[in-house]
Amino acid sequence: MSSKAVKIAVTCVVLAAALGGLLYTTLSDGTEYYMHVDEVMTDPSAWQGKHLQLHGFVNDLRQRPNSLDYRFQVQNNGKVVTASYSGVVPDTFKNGSEVVLKGRLRGGDFQVEPNGVLAKCPSRYNPNAAGPTGAGS
Amino acid sequence: MASLGSLTLLATFVAAAYAVAASVAGARRRSTPLIDSGIGAFYLTAGLLTVTSAIIVRAFVVGDFTIRYVQHYSDSVQPLAYKIASYWGGLDGSILFWVFLLSVFGTVAVAVNRERHRELIPWVVAVIAATEMFFIFIMVVHNNPFDTFLTTPPAEGKGLNPLLQNFYMAIHPPSLYTGFVAMTIPYAFGIAALVTGHLDDSWLRAVRRWTMIGWLFLTFGLTLGMLWAYEELGWGGFWAWDPVENAGLLPWFTATAFLHSVMVQERRGMLRVWNVTLVIVTFFLTIFGTFMTRSGVVQSVHAFGEDHWLAGVFSAFMVVIVVFSFGLVLYRLPLLKSRHELDSWMSREAAFLANNWILLFSAFFVLFATMFPTLAEAVTGHRLTVGPPFFNKWMLPIGLILLLLTGIAPLLAWRKTTLTNLLALFTWPAAATLVTGAAVYTLGIRVWTSGLCFAFCAFVFVTIIQEFVRGAAVRKGASGTDILTAMIGLVGRSRRRYGGYIVHAGIVLMFLGFAGQGYKQDAQLLLKPGQQATVGAFTLRHDALTVTSDDQKQMITGHVTVSRSGRVIAQMEPAKWFFARHEEQPTTEVAIRRAPGEDLYIVLAGYEVETQTATYAVTINPLINWIWLGFGVLAFGTGIALLPERAFAFAIAKVPAGAVTTGLMLLLVLLPATARAAQNGGQADQRSARVKALEGQFMCMCGGCRAAMNNCPMAPGCHGLRDQEPKLEAYVAQGMSDEAIKAAFVKEYGEEILLEPPDHGFNKLAWLFPYLMGGAGAAAIGMVAWRWSRTPQQTVAPSAHPAAAGEDAALKEKLEDELRDLD
Repeated sequence: MSSKAVKIAVTCVVLAAALGGLLYTTLSDGTEYYMHVDEVMTDPSAWQGKHLQLHGFVNDLRQRPNSLDYRFQVQNNGKVVTASYSGVVPDTFKNGSEVVLKGRLRGGDFQVEPNGVLAKCPSRYNPNAAGPTGAGS
Repeated sequence: MASLGSLTLLATFVAAAYAVAASVAGARRRSTPLIDSGIGAFYLTAGLLTVTSAIIVRAFVVGDFTIRYVQHYSDSVQPLAYKIASYWGGLDGSILFWVFLLSVFGTVAVAVNRERHRELIPWVVAVIAATEMFFIFIMVVHNNPFDTFLTTPPAEGKGLNPLLQNFYMAIHPPSLYTGFVAMTIPYAFGIAALVTGHLDDSWLRAVRRWTMIGWLFLTFGLTLGMLWAYEELGWGGFWAWDPVENAGLLPWFTATAFLHSVMVQERRGMLRVWNVTLVIVTFFLTIFGTFMTRSGVVQSVHAFGEDHWLAGVFSAFMVVIVVFSFGLVLYRLPLLKSRHELDSWMSREAAFLANNWILLFSAFFVLFATMFPTLAEAVTGHRLTVGPPFFNKWMLPIGLILLLLTGIAPLLAWRKTTLTNLLALFTWPAAATLVTGAAVYTLGIRVWTSGLCFAFCAFVFVTIIQEFVRGAAVRKGASGTDILTAMIGLVGRSRRRYGGYIVHAGIVLMFLGFAGQGYKQDAQLLLKPGQQATVGAFTLRHDALTVTSDDQKQMITGHVTVSRSGRVIAQMEPAKWFFARHEEQPTTEVAIRRAPGEDLYIVLAGYEVETQTATYAVTINPLINWIWLGFGVLAFGTGIALLPERAFAFAIAKVPAGAVTTGLMLLLVLLPATARAAQNGGQADQRSARVKALEGQFMCMCGGCRAAMNNCPMAPGCHGLRDQEPKLEAYVAQGMSDEAIKAAFVKEYGEEILLEPPDHGFNKLAWLFPYLMGGAGAAAIGMVAWRWSRTPQQTVAPSAHPAAAGEDAALKEKLEDELRDLD
């Protein structure tokens, strides 16, 4: 009986250790840091190349004519970073809108990954009444 | 009316409290009158909650905007169906809806099992009523859906969120809730068994059936959720590992595990603690899922917003559940001793055990990853998130292993499998796997993970077929009928087993759909009118951009002509709708061209009205429709497994040889016809109806009315119609598709002939139609089976009876004998 208990215990420990180890290693490249622009830009070098979800406000939005390439600035609490993105953007993505961008910081440029633009809506269940019907992007 | 609603809520709370008290007291004193009064109070809660629901639905329908909840989630222009659906559109109402469903289910469960499980019933009533009390308490104290305005009430409602104004949204939450709620019943029976110590296997029967029902609804709810995400959200996929989706998935894992491990207990008397634990954990996870989505602990697209009070109350309730339930398990541990030990790892029970571990690990993993951001923030202070890639990295291999086990387990015998048996049984499935694998490899399809998935699908599929054929061959040998009749008889004889195989077949189809995601293609196109681009095999031409509006919304529609290898195959109209009062959040109206091979999925992502430029996000989704089809098969299989005992078996025993084959042939002839009818809405009497429907889509071009063809005020004599109508009829007579007719009309008259793009409501109904047909068919079969099982007993002369019975017994014995080897 006791040898059986030992066997079970050993199996459980080994399994748990293996799975835990696997979980830990995969977790490190699966995670993204959720940061505000000012938190990142106080020490940009520490965040170079890391997977980020950058929270801030869009400013100076420019689109290359006849393309889906965008360049804009993201700011929060006075800190600013330039960002570039290529692809379809949400309807609510315009100057002044609050966004969360998925991507990496490379040099002074925040490169947003494909489909990495999430525009925050004020609240899903409390939509702001009345607003201009935007002409789209 | 609002105060009446609050009053009935209070009354329900009192009734539920009495039901708990009277049941517990009655059970302890063994007083039948007390127990009966408890059951009466329990039925009363269901009645009162029905009245409460009726009150709030009425408030929505008549637009009683003095009630906050009604004002917040509906408005007067909303269609009636969405007014009713608004009932569960917000937090307060969804809690009310939850309790209402629970009371209905509880009543049915108690009424059905009242005689059979006499000693358990009072405790079942007490547990369910206590759960009801918790939710009613939340409503009474904190989230009363009948709250009114203290100030002057507004004259108009804010309207239901446009994203929720959707066919699937109207039925997806009820289905998921039904699944969640149904899991309370097995828990109540489990607790009752633990309290009373009646831990023989009889309580498992009731529990198993209810878990199966809950499991079916849960699966249905999850599938509908995927359909909703796919059709409405417009990002081209169907599952994003969002916390709310995960909340529905967690109890699904444990319930699936239970449905398998319960067989081990029935067969071998093992895993008794484990099964009770699974029942408890499943219930716990349904409450946890509700907690996760209602309290705002995790960030999600569709969480209801943060609420600390709710989080606290829910946490307290969950702690109570855990302490109470597992306390009881510990207390009853001596009664839950296993009767047997595992004989061999090469046995079916071992395979089930592995399946259980993996399912439980999946639940644990999904829970961990869902809660990870919250946990990480608490520990490190940084908000770390994990995205779908992390989930996929783990869940893809796990899914593949589970799929493989689905094929392996039925091939293993109980207790111990001999090597010769193993070889004999594995030959065909293994061969199928290798052939598929080789085909996948030579075709250059990526092996990890989709290619592997295809190979495993082949393995499981061949296993299932082999099981059917093997069983049918035995039965055919014993009864001398043809193979098909034997097969139906087989399903009738052990419905759970073969129903289970059919469920597995459905799962295989769903996995095919998942594997198709490995070959998904997408593109983003910025097109001026007349420009075209190619995605995959399709060429898309952007024709025009139109702006139209109706009394609820403004619609921007892109018109795209799709062709494949030079032939025009479809006109597609992706759109954006701006609902009044919700202009900030336009809804995306995806245009989907469905096909068994691959779906073409177009979203109008951006536009510029002045230049008529449009940005389209295009996705090609291979095999995705097999997911929905797979669910249909799965539901059918579950239905068979759930069929009541006598109805089916007797009917099958009395069917004359060959009848099934004839019937099946007939069905095969009829099926394609109904399928076509489902798509086109009926063939024979359809001509004129189709013309009428088309007339609704084109404008009368007489120049004066600007109305639809079937709505022109100058009707019969209008010169515009005189011109257009014969053309339309001629096109229809030529058998042209709607798209082609539309294209022809546009070519002749220009874009303005098109009225607004059709609201896709009916199309969606048509899509559901096959499922409804399937359901109706199953119901009809059940009815016939039931009738069959009764008539012979009245008509057969008594003298003929003993002989028949003797023959039956002999047959049965032989079958049992041969099937025992198979099991």
